Amino acid sequence: MGYKVKLNVFEGPFDLLVYLIENAQMSIYDIKISEITDQYLEYVKEIERQDVSAAAEFMVLAASLLEIKSKMLLPRLAVGEEGAASEDPRSELVEKLLEYKRFKLLAEMLREKEDAGLRIMEKPQEDLSVYSCGAEEQLSLDLEQFVSAFHLFLQKKKRLEEIRRHHMRSEKQRITTEARMMDIRDFFRIDPFREANFKELVDKKDDRYDIALTFSSLLEMMKENRLEAEQKYLFGDIIVRATEYLMEEKPNDQQKNHESRI
Amino acid sequence: MTSKKTMKAAFESMMFIWGGPLDVKVAAEIFNINWKDAYDYFVELQEEYDKDKRGIRIREVNKSFQFVTAQENAEYIERLCTPVKQRKLTQSALEVLAIIAYKQPVTKGEIEAVRGIKCDRIIDGLQKKDLVGEVGRSTGVGRPILYGTTDAFLKHFGFKNLKELPDLEETAGHMADDTDQEEPTDSVDLQQISLQLPEK
Repeated sequence: MGYKVKLNVFEGPFDLLVYLIENAQMSIYDIKISEITDQYLEYVKEIERQDVSAAAEFMVLAASLLEIKSKMLLPRLAVGEEGAASEDPRSELVEKLLEYKRFKLLAEMLREKEDAGLRIMEKPQEDLSVYSCGAEEQLSLDLEQFVSAFHLFLQKKKRLEEIRRHHMRSEKQRITTEARMMDIRDFFRIDPFREANFKELVDKKDDRYDIALTFSSLLEMMKENRLEAEQKYLFGDIIVRATEYLMEEKPNDQQKNHESRI
Repeated sequence: MTSKKTMKAAFESMMFIWGGPLDVKVAAEIFNINWKDAYDYFVELQEEYDKDKRGIRIREVNKSFQFVTAQENAEYIERLCTPVKQRKLTQSALEVLAIIAYKQPVTKGEIEAVRGIKCDRIIDGLQKKDLVGEVGRSTGVGRPILYGTTDAFLKHFGFKNLKELPDLEETAGHMADDTDQEEPTDSVDLQQISLQLPEK
């Protein structure tokens, strides 16, 4: 066996390929594809033995190499009548390799800059609160400013409470599509044969979210055949009725309750 | 009108107390002078510190100035704070960073196309170090995130701004020198093949 490969050296498939080409002292513009492909595949096998997922990253390029190799085997007959020379199947690969090599060089350049840059030390951004006005100084200002600051504080507090209240409520609502469906069921259970306007199902103080929630619950229950709804004309009132399925649920539920009690 | 000397001295004090890079705009506003004048004063200060070879120097980062230590004193500072924290980037991180620096704004897909390998973890790492950041979204399919370098990147490598990055063309020239000689012969070969075939 020839050489032992230290795998971690390679940063990726291009890195490996560039290494192989340079190691074989080939010109990047005239890669001996067959030779390189064999070597490349051998390396990939080696990688595969150690780490299959790492090898997967190298497979795409292996496939392209094989494709180029097979194209190279075909006689290049495709010289057009107009005299256009057929494109070298390797040219796309060469372009990619050149670009990769260029960034590898730039990375080396950055490494040099980094060595220099790391020799310069800086101080972190200072905490200037020692010098800037704290809360106590604010209060020692004149009365008018103090009052307005206090008002601002109150306003802020009020707004904060409002947001908090809203937030808590909406959070509660987020989990209640099922609960709303229970509500609707209970609503009809009082009088199974009642016809209800959709508006009756929605609380007056409910916001848009509630209405949408109720509506989607209604649709869900219709899908399950538990409710029937009817709208006579566009934007008209929606009349909701319970179906027999909904009413039959009653004994079921009681049974469940019974079971849970046991 | 405050004298230039006073202002320069004030800039020094401000930089000292601020710690991080002090924006020229902020300094200019304090004295109500125009930006260019303030910038020039900072540069003058910088030159004075350099000329006197002081242990403290002034560094420019993206139109801000900051007091830093002199490069040649790194060794002594390191002795002061042993064990030294290793801040060097890995080879793969440098490659990704080079691609982002030169191609920015750039998507993950474009970076991976150059390296031929997945780069998610490296990009995450660079983002955690604050060397790169998201700078927007591409208009392409899926609106992928565009990455670019940060001020911390400039500091890390000691660049004033992105214009200081060495020319991409220069490195391309370097490479051409290495391989140029073989190229012509190769293209001649190709021509020969294509000429021979029609004759058959």
